[in-house]
Amino acid sequence: MTRVRGHESSEWEVQMSGRSDLIAGGVTFCVRKMAIVGLQFDGAGRVPLRTLGGAGMFSVLSYGRLVARAVLGGLSQTDSRDYSLVTASCGFGKDFRKGILKKGMCYGDDACFIARHRSADVLGVADGVGGWRDYGVDPSQFSGTLMRTCERLVREGRFVPTNPVGILTASYCELLQNKVPLLGSSTACLVVLDRSNHQLHTANLGDSGFLVVRGGEVVHRSDEQQHYFNTPFQLSIAPPEAEGVVLNDSPDAADSTSIDVQLGDIILTATDGLFDNMPDYMILQELKKLKKTNYESIQQTAKSIAEQAHELAYDPNYMSPFAQFACDNGLNVRGGKPDDITVLLSIVAEYTD
Amino acid sequence: MYPMLTFLSMFYYICLRRRARSGTRGEIMNSRRAIESSNRILPLSVEVVQYAKEVVDFSSQYGSENSLSYTMWNLSGLPNVYPSSGDFTQTAVFRTYGRWWESCPSSPPPFRRTPRSFHSQEYVELAFEEAVYPTAIDVLETYHPGAIVRILACSANPYSQTPPSEIRWETLWAGEPEKVNVSQARQFTPCIKQLDFMTNLIRLELNSSFLDYYTELDAVLLHGVKDRLLSVRKPSMLDLEDDDKDDHSLEFFNGQITGIPLPEYTKNGYFEKLPYELIQLILSHLTVPDLCQLAQTCKLLYQHCYDPLQYVQLSLQPYWAGLNDGSLEHLQSRCALVQFLNLSWTGNRGSISTQGFRRFMQVCGYELVRLELACCHFLNESCLEVIAQMCPNLQELNLSSCDKLNTQAFCHIAKISGLRRLVVYRTKIEQTALLSILNFCLELQHLSLGSCVMVDDYDVVASVIGAKCKKLRSLDLWRCKNITENGIAAIVSGCRLLEELDLGWCPMLQSSTGCFIKLARKLPNLRKIFLTANRSVCDTDIEELAENCPRLFYVDILGTRMVSPAALRKLLQFCKELCLLDISFCSQIDSRVVQELSANFPNVSIKKSYTQ
Repeated sequence: MTRVRGHESSEWEVQMSGRSDLIAGGVTFCVRKMAIVGLQFDGAGRVPLRTLGGAGMFSVLSYGRLVARAVLGGLSQTDSRDYSLVTASCGFGKDFRKGILKKGMCYGDDACFIARHRSADVLGVADGVGGWRDYGVDPSQFSGTLMRTCERLVREGRFVPTNPVGILTASYCELLQNKVPLLGSSTACLVVLDRSNHQLHTANLGDSGFLVVRGGEVVHRSDEQQHYFNTPFQLSIAPPEAEGVVLNDSPDAADSTSIDVQLGDIILTATDGLFDNMPDYMILQELKKLKKTNYESIQQTAKSIAEQAHELAYDPNYMSPFAQFACDNGLNVRGGKPDDITVLLSIVAEYTD
Repeated sequence: MYPMLTFLSMFYYICLRRRARSGTRGEIMNSRRAIESSNRILPLSVEVVQYAKEVVDFSSQYGSENSLSYTMWNLSGLPNVYPSSGDFTQTAVFRTYGRWWESCPSSPPPFRRTPRSFHSQEYVELAFEEAVYPTAIDVLETYHPGAIVRILACSANPYSQTPPSEIRWETLWAGEPEKVNVSQARQFTPCIKQLDFMTNLIRLELNSSFLDYYTELDAVLLHGVKDRLLSVRKPSMLDLEDDDKDDHSLEFFNGQITGIPLPEYTKNGYFEKLPYELIQLILSHLTVPDLCQLAQTCKLLYQHCYDPLQYVQLSLQPYWAGLNDGSLEHLQSRCALVQFLNLSWTGNRGSISTQGFRRFMQVCGYELVRLELACCHFLNESCLEVIAQMCPNLQELNLSSCDKLNTQAFCHIAKISGLRRLVVYRTKIEQTALLSILNFCLELQHLSLGSCVMVDDYDVVASVIGAKCKKLRSLDLWRCKNITENGIAAIVSGCRLLEELDLGWCPMLQSSTGCFIKLARKLPNLRKIFLTANRSVCDTDIEELAENCPRLFYVDILGTRMVSPAALRKLLQFCKELCLLDISFCSQIDSRVVQELSANFPNVSIKKSYTQ
């Protein structure tokens, strides 16, 4: 299936696709380039047009109908182009006490990844559960390894774009295949952009999440999954003596959705460190400042969002969404919520090789 | 000077025009660069450098089927680990290393008459995108290098739709297995022979007998040119040993020389006066190709060389590259008494057909006692049917990695009631076939069910093993994922003679159920116990093993956090015959403890692998 991609295509360029637009496009081509003289347009061996010569009501009507279809068909040129995500990441660890130099894409106990494949762009965030630190386990090991394994699965093509839960499940199973006895738990949120279908397939387990913003409005938001207050759904590997005691949700418990996206849509994937400190309107305000779709502007915006959230987290008087929720549940608190913050900001753009 | 330069550049220009290229590829994995001649006039030819596109076949792997960790999948594509070195999940690892598996009492003795040049124990075949004339091959080894003993290239294109008429395998390089002192990552680039055909299928053969731990490979690079370099490069100084002829020029196997009339003079001097048995004894030291060649010399030696008693043990594995239906047919006449037959690795890519194998078995199967058919992808149901029919005396059958066998094929094995050893590692055997084998083959002493992923419930299988296989001495349940303490209880109660038990990577076994304690108490003869990656193994289990199983010699408890140095000391003190102890990734055991234990117990090889 040949496709014209990657650059502005002229309206009248012939595109060979398997849809009826072919006929409309073909007719349009014929109409514009040649006179209607009973052409047998056989576009790749498909339905031949009837000759349009001769007078008569019937042929005039059919001509009119064909032209109408051609015009409409000509307008929907964008459908066959592949989409991609231009993504930038930014984040802050909760505190800087450890000072251990982590590999990129790790912010405190959070981890994230951005991966490209021929068929899809995939992003993910994972929020390591900090409680493991009290038992001598480094919480960032689990989330980091989970994200790096997801990235590897995507890069090697061992995934199906329409099934992000499958990526999570496979990645979790791979963690169990490691000789090193990994321990820990984390949430996970995966976002897959299916290039050719123009759909966003997502899987969310826990309280990380994503927003889809179009025209300054949130058109889709993921749901949080919590067992009870401050205890999100999580993937975990526990030591054998604690198997029944430690919370361990199956990857199948992840929420999965599929959303249609358009060029210019903004997708913000983040851990709860962002959403618990910055309400939507503040996030939208920052996103309004994003004018261009190049990597540098996106990076700039991601950075400003993350910085703002980081500042608000340590503001003791600010009524953060987290504090608001706690108050609604009877806990009288104020202030931000110091936590690791990870922000992945993406824009849907056209795919260039 | 100048006219010569002009003439030369005209010559090169004409040559280049003939070899017009049509654009470059955008693939990141491949690159092209021009090799310039020393006086930099014009590029001579374009060198293509490619990573492997796909792994098409291999003999074994450490990791789980369909996993990315420690499996052969990692050998294709770009390197993930190199130049770091360590025990990483993103590398290709084989199932075994060193001599530990060979020297188990349960392992069968090696075949006699193996040529000295044949060292290979494992292999992996890689397909590349473009066929080239190879100029160099780089193998990136990231852990315990030194295992590669042979590199071969095939003339067939694995991606072509039509099967090729003739398949040739040429050895590009052969060497001895070596022990590299430093277990760091290295790029192995041997000097390879020039080929006269283009290839995109490379095979590596490995032998890790001298290595201290698993060897791990990261990637393979194939450098080649699209146009054959004739006299431009200086001819390869490497002169491969003459025994290279053993494996490839097998015309004598195919009986192509039998047409030559034998010399009439039978005056062999005093040689004739030697007793028949003595000449037979002398000839028993020759390898099979030598025997075939010797048969051409005179009638007396022809008679000796074709004596079926010379073929009681026949190993054709070293000659896998050239063995075909014709060879089997030619050997048939001499092999009626064969008892130990090794056809492992042979017959792939169509060289042996089902009919050819069946004919051979029909003639030569009656006396067969041991049959090795590892990695024989030509095997199908009718082959196993003929084995079951024609080999009533068969005691040992190895079907390791024969992945084309369907479940019906395995049902035929149940008819071989005298079976003592059965290896179905990495096959698609299903539960019903396995249960029927266990019910009818009551003489089983050695059973290997490693990585048999199609068996649904290992507890059921284990209870039948415990009930029926009373003579079982070794059992390999490596990666039998869903076996639980009930299965273990059934096995240890029923198979009291059990000496070797491999329960590596069986995650459902929990020490808290007491299954390991029960195991230790009921199996006093236990010599080998592998509890690899069972995270629940604890001090109590080790102490019970120490107290109840004094004959232990191989123990593997990789990856548990719950075993302390004190328990290990007790194990080492009580088990005086211990020679292998793998405590890799046991978090309570650090290198200081390992040093102390190694110093106090110098006969024990203590393995502590690391990632960085």
